[in-house]
Amino acid sequence: MLKKTAIDKISELASRMMEQGTLIAPVKEDGYFHFREIADVQAVDLNYHNTVTSPKSVFFPPVEDFIHYETGKSILDAVAVELNVKPTFLFGVRPCDVRSFQIMDIHFSGTGSVDPYWQKRREATVIFGYAFYLDEPAQAEEFYSTLGIGAADPEGSDIFMIRKENDLLLKSMTSKGEKILDRLSVHDAATPEDEKYFEEYIHRGRQTRTRFTCIEKSNIAKKMEDLFHNNDFWMKISSACLSCGVCTFLCPNCYCFDICDETLFGKGTRRRVWDACMFTDFTLEASGHNPRTQVYQRLRQKINHKYSYHVRKYDTISCVGCGRCTRHCPVNIDIFSIVEDAMKA
Amino acid sequence: MAISFKQIEEKLKAESKRLLETGQVSVVLAYQNGYDEKHPMPYAAKCVSDVENIIFNEYCNFNMARYLVRYSRGTKIAIAVKAADSRAVIQLLHEEKVCREDVVVMGIPVYGMKNSETGQEIDGQTTCGLYNPILYDILLGEEIHGKPVVSPFEVLTPYEAMDREDRFVFWKKEFDRCIRCYACRKACPMCYCDPCFIDQQKPRWGEKSPQSSGNFMYHLTRFHHLAGRCVDCGECSRACPVNIPLYLFHKKMAKECKEMFGQGAGMSLKDKPVLINFRVDDSDKILE
Amino acid sequence: MSFEPKILGIACNWCTYTGADLAGTTRLQYPQNLRVVRVMCSSRINPSFIFRAFQMGADGVLIGGCHPGDCHYNTGNLYARRRLAVTKKILDFSGMEPERFRVEWISASEGNKFAEVVTEFTEQIRKLGPQTKFKIAL
Repeated sequence: MLKKTAIDKISELASRMMEQGTLIAPVKEDGYFHFREIADVQAVDLNYHNTVTSPKSVFFPPVEDFIHYETGKSILDAVAVELNVKPTFLFGVRPCDVRSFQIMDIHFSGTGSVDPYWQKRREATVIFGYAFYLDEPAQAEEFYSTLGIGAADPEGSDIFMIRKENDLLLKSMTSKGEKILDRLSVHDAATPEDEKYFEEYIHRGRQTRTRFTCIEKSNIAKKMEDLFHNNDFWMKISSACLSCGVCTFLCPNCYCFDICDETLFGKGTRRRVWDACMFTDFTLEASGHNPRTQVYQRLRQKINHKYSYHVRKYDTISCVGCGRCTRHCPVNIDIFSIVEDAMKA
Repeated sequence: MAISFKQIEEKLKAESKRLLETGQVSVVLAYQNGYDEKHPMPYAAKCVSDVENIIFNEYCNFNMARYLVRYSRGTKIAIAVKAADSRAVIQLLHEEKVCREDVVVMGIPVYGMKNSETGQEIDGQTTCGLYNPILYDILLGEEIHGKPVVSPFEVLTPYEAMDREDRFVFWKKEFDRCIRCYACRKACPMCYCDPCFIDQQKPRWGEKSPQSSGNFMYHLTRFHHLAGRCVDCGECSRACPVNIPLYLFHKKMAKECKEMFGQGAGMSLKDKPVLINFRVDDSDKILE
Repeated sequence: MSFEPKILGIACNWCTYTGADLAGTTRLQYPQNLRVVRVMCSSRINPSFIFRAFQMGADGVLIGGCHPGDCHYNTGNLYARRRLAVTKKILDFSGMEPERFRVEWISASEGNKFAEVVTEFTEQIRKLGPQTKFKIAL
């Protein structure tokens, strides 16, 4: 079903969502947008291009507590942390970020063993995808068209939203979405003209191109394999790289984590925290040996993981072209250009 | 400025070419084009043909001194520096991370540098605010005199005037946003420790998880480790993806060190860094 | 029950620790809230000790060293004076009460001074109340 609401009445829709569960939406903080749990409906702000941090933290938070323990006691006395998730509305996610959830599903629930924390949150959440505004050009760092994602691509959303002048059109794309859209009492009925606009917009979104390079999955994987031992290439590519971790932490598709025990005076918690293959000590072994001491080795690993190993294992490139890595890299490394250079090398 | 950015670029390329051709250096640390004009990148030119990639424009804010420690001792390096970057080179010379004979400093006197993200002009509010390099072997341009300098400590006034409780609330809000990506640490020329204190497990100095108290521990300790060493280049704050105003705290420490010990980091080859030095007549009042 | 502060004391072996011993042998009374750690010299003190102590719930930290000029190792406390002054400034600017951290020069013969300082400092911390700003909430 297709419904409509005025954009300046968003706070009403937001309050109805908050009555029924937790609302997570883009919020402006000091001029930059982040997805935050909403307490004040007036904070919801859809006038954004994309958030700084990706919405992966909704399903895969930076800190996740697993077990509480006491060091004097037996491990059998440790208490597992109960995860209670209220129905959640994830509002205003761009198509590339929605697609990233599907790719992350492969790791957290698609390989035979299911991560219950990811799964529980995923099942409890209704995703409101939000098309990019086609009258605005794409940003220089974005390249989702290369990865087959349209600017108004509804794939993966439960409800997809498109802006039509001063209105917001909302269409349910899944049965989950349909039920919710019904319950949210979005009153304005959409006209047949709106229906047409919606379909055409999606179509136009497929044509609106960001940077586009013809990349075929198996080509790029093979090319990366051929380049593995070309140290000159990787050293040149990584000469500016600081090996910090910004690209990893902001990437919607990076999922490496570390498990650490944080204890104080006999009581502690085992938690999962985000980790980055770009960190110097990522591959540090207990013996003190570190296979990846050089920046070029770590950058090679990162690019290869996303464009080669992931393709070989799961037939998907582990990237959605959101551009956050390039946009926030402290030394302006254009990560996608590394892939383009690899294709030419 | 007497000369334009383009003219500085020409001089930079000419000098780099000369230094590489004559074999005086084996690498030139400068800047190159990035994915667009507003986003240049750091560059290491290793041969004469690399020199044509070198550029200089108002977005070339990188402090190239942080790459000096990547090269093995004895490597001859030429480095393009602006005012704060030259201070970083001096500080690294004090800390013996690089030898004076191994480095050819190409100083760039400049004002009007701009922030790539916001387009705003960068001045003493977020950096040291100086125009002229303190140390150089070659000067690419003319020293800038007569232009008023924005005091690097003026921006601190409202924060110093804040009630202490309000100040705590301010910093807690900022550090709660920290995702512990460590871009600040990696962007800093003075953060070359391997392993960094936060990566050590025995003993564990701070929690790894990006939560309030661990974030405070990481940042306060880092501010302490940089007290008297930070050259106020502003790279840490520009690198931060969630825009934490780290420069405020570093400036405060620089101001305190100036008041207590009469010195700024990297301002002279003769000075010894403040915390590996002492004066018998240092006042006990500093502990109050 | 009134609040009993937990105070970490770090004392240099040659002066302050001996001074504390003297306070003990001369039966001087002072509050029991101080937990003393002995280091060989005040310059052994890593500022992270202080930050970590606050993280672990210390309500106050008291450092004792030789008088500047009298360091057993000649110059240790002269470095410590500068370093700990920076620590104090950091605590102040971050919003932590700098009064919770104190550095005193107490020589081996100043048993009286040791007892006085500890008594005064404990009262000051008692008035300030429990430290919650840096304390880890696991």
